[in-house]
This record gives sequence, structure tokens and C-alpha cells, in this order.
Amino acid sequence: MAVDKPQKFAKDFWPYFYRVIATVIVTSQLIVLIVIAVILYMFNFHETNMLAFVGILIAEAILGTVSSIAIYKLASQPIKDLLAAIVHISGEPTATTPPNPNDKRFEQSGFKDVLQTIYQLASNNKEPGTMLSSAPVAVAAAVATPQPMIKPATTMLESALNETSCGFVVMNHERKITFSNKAAPLNVDSNGVSSLSLIFNGQETLDAWLEDCDKNAVHAERTWARLPNKLPEEEGRRFFDVIASYDKGAESEVVLTLIDRTSIYEVGEQELDFIAFAAHELRGPITVIRGYLDVLEDELDDVLKDDQHELFRRLTVSANRLSGYINNILNTSRYDRRHLKMHLSETTVAEIYDTIRDDMDLRASAQNRMLSVNIPTDLPTIAGDPASLSEVFGNLIDNAIKYSNEGGAIAVTAAPKGDMVEVVVEDHGIGMPANVIGNLFQKFYRSHRSRETVAGTGIGLYISKAIVESHGGNIGVRSEDGRGSTFTVSLPTFKSVADKLKAGNNSNEGLIDQGSGWIKNHSMYRG
Amino acid sequence: MAIKTILIVEDDRFIGEMYVRSLKKANYTVDWMVDGNDGLIAARNKQYDLILLDVMLPERRGSDILEALRGGAEDLIPHSRVLILTNFEQDDESRMAMEKKADGYLIKAEITPSKLLSVIAQLDKPS
Repeated sequence: MAVDKPQKFAKDFWPYFYRVIATVIVTSQLIVLIVIAVILYMFNFHETNMLAFVGILIAEAILGTVSSIAIYKLASQPIKDLLAAIVHISGEPTATTPPNPNDKRFEQSGFKDVLQTIYQLASNNKEPGTMLSSAPVAVAAAVATPQPMIKPATTMLESALNETSCGFVVMNHERKITFSNKAAPLNVDSNGVSSLSLIFNGQETLDAWLEDCDKNAVHAERTWARLPNKLPEEEGRRFFDVIASYDKGAESEVVLTLIDRTSIYEVGEQELDFIAFAAHELRGPITVIRGYLDVLEDELDDVLKDDQHELFRRLTVSANRLSGYINNILNTSRYDRRHLKMHLSETTVAEIYDTIRDDMDLRASAQNRMLSVNIPTDLPTIAGDPASLSEVFGNLIDNAIKYSNEGGAIAVTAAPKGDMVEVVVEDHGIGMPANVIGNLFQKFYRSHRSRETVAGTGIGLYISKAIVESHGGNIGVRSEDGRGSTFTVSLPTFKSVADKLKAGNNSNEGLIDQGSGWIKNHSMYRG
Repeated sequence: MAIKTILIVEDDRFIGEMYVRSLKKANYTVDWMVDGNDGLIAARNKQYDLILLDVMLPERRGSDILEALRGGAEDLIPHSRVLILTNFEQDDESRMAMEKKADGYLIKAEITPSKLLSVIAQLDKPS
């Protein structure tokens, strides 16, 4: 039958059914007429009363046809209604309205229950997307028109969804939440408006993705792993893997599925806590070592021979590098726990570099690199966290030293560029092939070659990127295999962000600029 | 007014001695207190040009000392400058509260004695 063949529509069954019935009625009436005529003929009825003979045949033909049609109408009506209901829930294009189960005749006949069962089955199956065709408008109509009977189905579905630990959130085109179940992590503000309570890391937020979808996609899907709904040390902190699907123009344009993975991620979270704690503990002794080296070298200045001075320099360089690595680890664990926070203030690149100048000069000379720094003091001021940015510059210069050769030249320059100040660190070292660059800023990434030849943790560039982006800036790299690499850090000028900083809050942290709009980064951090 | 006398309130013996030693060598007059109560008493009894104040201290926190000295209607140390010594991980509320009343803050892990000397020299310059 037509229903079984997916390329045909279910509604095509009706004309076929209609033709068959009409043929059967006409044929059966003909047979009845012929049989009656033959019987009467055999009894010579036509010879005695020709008029009655013809009259009987005509009466039979009329009565038989009328009663057949009447029976047919009566018997086929439920099939017709069933078919109309099925056509609607299947989403086929159609002009007819779906049968309303609350119709009087359905209530009287008890057919109401049949229709309700069908609609209920349809609404249960709707989620996995078992529609025959792609006409979502018709589906919406079928769901919307028979309001009273769809109600029990949705409440059933709703209570079922509230039973699961999986969160479901549905948003419309305006990004308003139109449905959410119990497990979904939501914030409700004083006006009663709900919003999603998830802390995204950096700029890979749901909003940014949806903005991108609005511009570029019709259907899209994306997942995020390990998103917490609250900050560390807050009560009831959960972790979710989030699957978002986007369907342009649909009534439920955005559907989020949030899988609660707290039990798995909590372990990792404790490890991050431990790493932060351990790194923090290491800072105390390192501070003392660096301080006393400083004091001691100064006090022994007159008696130390040149080569002994060199030993002190190496001790200092190593202690400073160790301190830098500890900072990287601490910041990375902080960032991964959504705990990294910038204290932005008006400063200049030159001022920040001054705090690490001696250290960098020492590092370069201790390893025989020619470090030339040209940072004009009259550049526009930036909104920066000096301690964090000095770590970024330190990481980039440290890399330039590591990945260049004896006597190699390293140039650090800075220049204004639009609303940004650009800092460039250029080396003429071993460089990188193109396939390495794509992964360069990923955590723990170390190219095969550098793993064998150069020491490192693989988090320096990862955390540098995080810090720069938390300032609303960008970090990028150009490199040529065998010829050297050039890292570029762009930071927004203070002027371009001053209004935003004032508008944010008086402690001015956490506001970052991402192209079109401002994103409050770590805005939920409450210290 | 040039900075000559300095009070250090710091409970870590290694770090306290390190600063005292290098500041004395740079010809400053230095007093060093280990706990918060002694620190507050010293600051009340003698006029210092500069006070280096740790935050986490036994007996009385650095923030409490600063509050006692500058929180009231009258600034009890109008002639002194105050630099806060903080840990990187200091909680922000107390840090921000202190920043308003202090002349600056230094992150302990970032500072070395020679850097401290240059910071003090800079503090001296504008006045």
C-alpha cells in the first residue's frame, strides 16, 4: 500500500481507497441486478407483468446504490479521520485540518480515545525526529491546533524529562528560554527571567557560537566539555558536557542537552586544586632563593671573580625561570578552574617590560643570545594586568631563546596599530613547519621535534593566549621552518576600553572585548 | 620628603631579614616587627617615612593595622607612606580595601630586594 512506500505520501491512500470502493459498489450492484433479473426471468415474471419487472429492477438499483453508499460513508469515516490525523502528524503538506478529538461526534462514538492515542504516540516520537518529510510548519500546526488533547502528552513528557539528571533547555530565536527541565542549570533574576548558568572558558561561549550560527549556518551542532555552573568553592557546583543544536528559523531554534558529569570531573577538579596548592607552596621558597641571591651577589660584589659572577648569574637566571614556570602552572590551573582574574589598570608596554628587563637581559646573555628591545615609551597606554602581561612577554622571549641558536638575534618591538598596541617578538631560530602552528597554543602541545631537543612544559603559550585574550587582545604567530618565528601580541589601548571598564564595576576586572561585543569574563568570580 | 626611616611588619623570618639587610645596606634606618600588634604599636609610637606591611600576620592582620591607622576620621600616620606586601593569591576584597588606604602594593613573589630599592627610590621622586 501507498503508506508503506516512503516516496509516496500517506494521503495518496485516500483516492486509491475511494476508487476501489466505488468500483466494488458499482460491480456488486450490477451483479445483484443481473441475478434478480435472471431469477424473475426464469419465473416468466416479465411476460405477466412487464411494468412490475422493470420497476423492481429500477427500485433495487436505486435502493441498493444508496444503501451501499450510506454504509460506505459510515464505515469509512473513522478511516478517513485516522488518515487525516496521520497525515498531519507525519508533517505532510496538506490543506485539511486535523480531526479534533473534542468534536461531539468523536466523543459520542468513543473515537476520541483513538485519536488521543495517536497524537500522544506522535508527540512521544517527535523528539528523535521520526518525521516522514521535512515540513516543520505542518508539525507545529498539528501540535498547536488540537490544544486540549496535546496537553496530557506534554505534561507526561515534561514530568519524564524532570525525572532525568540530563538537562534540557530550549530557546527560541530571541534566545529566550521557552522550555527547561529540572536538571538544567538556570539562574532566575529578580524579574523572573531565566538564563543559563554555565561558565564558559575564554571566548568559546555559547553566545559567540550562536552569533556565528546566525550568520553562517542553517543546521549546526557543537559540544562543550566540562562546563561548571558555578565557581570553585560555591555550593552545589556541577559539571556538564553540553551539546547544542541549532536549527535556523525553527520554533525551538536552539536545543541544549546538558549531561551531568560531575562525578567524573570532580576528581580532575581535585587534582587541579592540588596543583594550584602545590605550585603556590613552591613560590615561598623560590621567593626567598631569588631574594637572597640578589642580596648575596650585591654584598659579595667586590670579592667575586668574573667567573664567580657568572655562576651567580646562572643561579639567578635559573631561579627566575623556575619562578616563571611555577607562575605558568599556577595560572593554568587557575584558568582551567575559571579562576584566572585580571586586575586591569592603565599602564604602558614599556613600563611592564621594565619590570622584567633585567631578568630578560640576564637570560639572553647567559645563553649567548642577542636580545634587542625597542619599545617606545610614548606608545598609547593599555589596560593591562602588569604581572600577567610580564609573564606573557617572559614566556615569548624565553621561547625565542630556547628555539634559536647560539648568538642568535631576538628582537622585541612595539608599535600602535588602530585601537591596539602590538608587541612583536621575533627570532631567527629553528622556526616551525606549518602543521605545527595550528596546535601551538593548545595545552601540553609540544611538537615532536621540540620534545626531543628542548625542555618545556607545553603550557607557556597556552596560558599566554589565555592571559592576552582575557585582556581582550589577540596573540598570533608567523613562522618559517628553519628561518625563525614571529609572535605578535595585540592589546587594546586604555582609551578604547576605558568606558567599558568604568561601566563594568569599580574593581574593573574581567571585562574583555571580543570583536563585536563585550563579554564579561569570569564575571561570576566573587573573590 | 626623602624616605629615611622604614618600618617592616613581616612575619616570615627569611623574607623579613632579607629586606632588613638590603635596606640597611642602602643606608635606611629600619625597624622590623614580626607580629601585627607590635607592628601597630611601633607605627603609633614613632614616625616612619615608609611602612612595609604584610597582609597575613599573627595577632592582627595587615588590613586591620591599616584600618586602625587610617580608617578613622583622623589619619594617624599623615607623614608616612604605606606599601602593602601581598601574596599573589590574596583575596581581592581585603586587597581592594587596603589599596584605597595604601600608597601601593607589591606582590611578594615578584619582588626582589634590588627591585624593592628601586620602587622606594621611585616613591621618593615625586615629592
